[in-house]
Amino acid sequence: MQDIQLQEIWKSYDRKLEEQLVFNRKNASDITKMKVKSELTSMRPIKIFTVLLGILWIIFLDVLVINLLPIGNLFFLISAGFISLVNKIAVGIYLYQLILIYVVNINRPVMSTQKKIAGLTTSTLWVTRILMLQLPFWTTFFLNSSWIGSANPFFWGIQALITLAFAAVSIWLFINIRYENRDKPWFKFLFGSYEWTPIMKAQEMLVQIKDYEKLEPIITN
Amino acid sequence: MSKENESFLSSIESNKGIIYKVANSYCKDADDRADLVQEIILQLWKAFPSFQPDYKLSTWMYRIALNVAISAYRKASNRCQIYQPLSETAIYLAEDKSLANDNRDLLQSLIRELKEVDKALILLYLDGYLYSEIGEILGISESNVATKLSRIKQQLKQKITSY
Repeated sequence: MQDIQLQEIWKSYDRKLEEQLVFNRKNASDITKMKVKSELTSMRPIKIFTVLLGILWIIFLDVLVINLLPIGNLFFLISAGFISLVNKIAVGIYLYQLILIYVVNINRPVMSTQKKIAGLTTSTLWVTRILMLQLPFWTTFFLNSSWIGSANPFFWGIQALITLAFAAVSIWLFINIRYENRDKPWFKFLFGSYEWTPIMKAQEMLVQIKDYEKLEPIITN
Repeated sequence: MSKENESFLSSIESNKGIIYKVANSYCKDADDRADLVQEIILQLWKAFPSFQPDYKLSTWMYRIALNVAISAYRKASNRCQIYQPLSETAIYLAEDKSLANDNRDLLQSLIRELKEVDKALILLYLDGYLYSEIGEILGISESNVATKLSRIKQQLKQKITSY
């Protein structure tokens, strides 16, 4: 088959559309009066809510750590401090996403625009990975240094096992929550829900863009 | 109706084929397609004030329509929750029957099977755009357009021939 035949088929499709395609002016005019609610703008409220919630949580943790610094025990200060740090990074990424939402312009070339939008969506995966790192610190914040000498060795044994297990799981998840593992049963179990589908599809888009970039860099203007 | 609104609607009317073809290539389902047509028109309207008259209207429309279609496909199954659905669509086929023709249907379905960016590339090529124009819409170099296009065409031709 020649190129020209491919184009001929398309031209015949074009001719049919020319004959049958109807433009309803009233409906089109109604659309221009609608409130703009695109995919991007629909992402905005949930991200703003998450950022606000995150900031409140960080403030709460930091106030607690600062106020308990002179009297608090080491376990609590280190645990709460680390949880706060991890959450600060996550909120930082969310803020970056919000900024990106405002700067994405669909007037720009398709590849660079899609790269931004897909990058924006997939950075949620990064937030999830980073948040996993706080897991072991949730098993240590209530411990007291004064128990070290007095508490039952059996208690410390169990505690160490739990903390080590959580640490191992959190590091494993941090390393393995990646697009490449999307088909693994554990990944589908954790992220198989409907909300994660756009993130996986956005990652597919980044793979497609990378495939084009292999030949030559994409043009942004 | 304002002058800007009139001018916008006329622009859409004269380029309705672009909107329909993009929506039809990215959405097989009629309801999804109607939603996508609506979203494309909405985004075109939103971007219309920033349209530069020295720019080719159809090129500008294609760029926005493709950006909207590719972004929207990720949310395909809940698109109706995002938009305020209208009772009827703005651009549709007069007779609600397929444009029955074996080769046309086959080409349509093969295009729908392509990856999102490849689909955009072949749509622009089949619509007669020059490599430089395709590069401008997609934001890739002419040589990149040529290389990729040659592979996609080959792929399509092989599949059509094998049917």
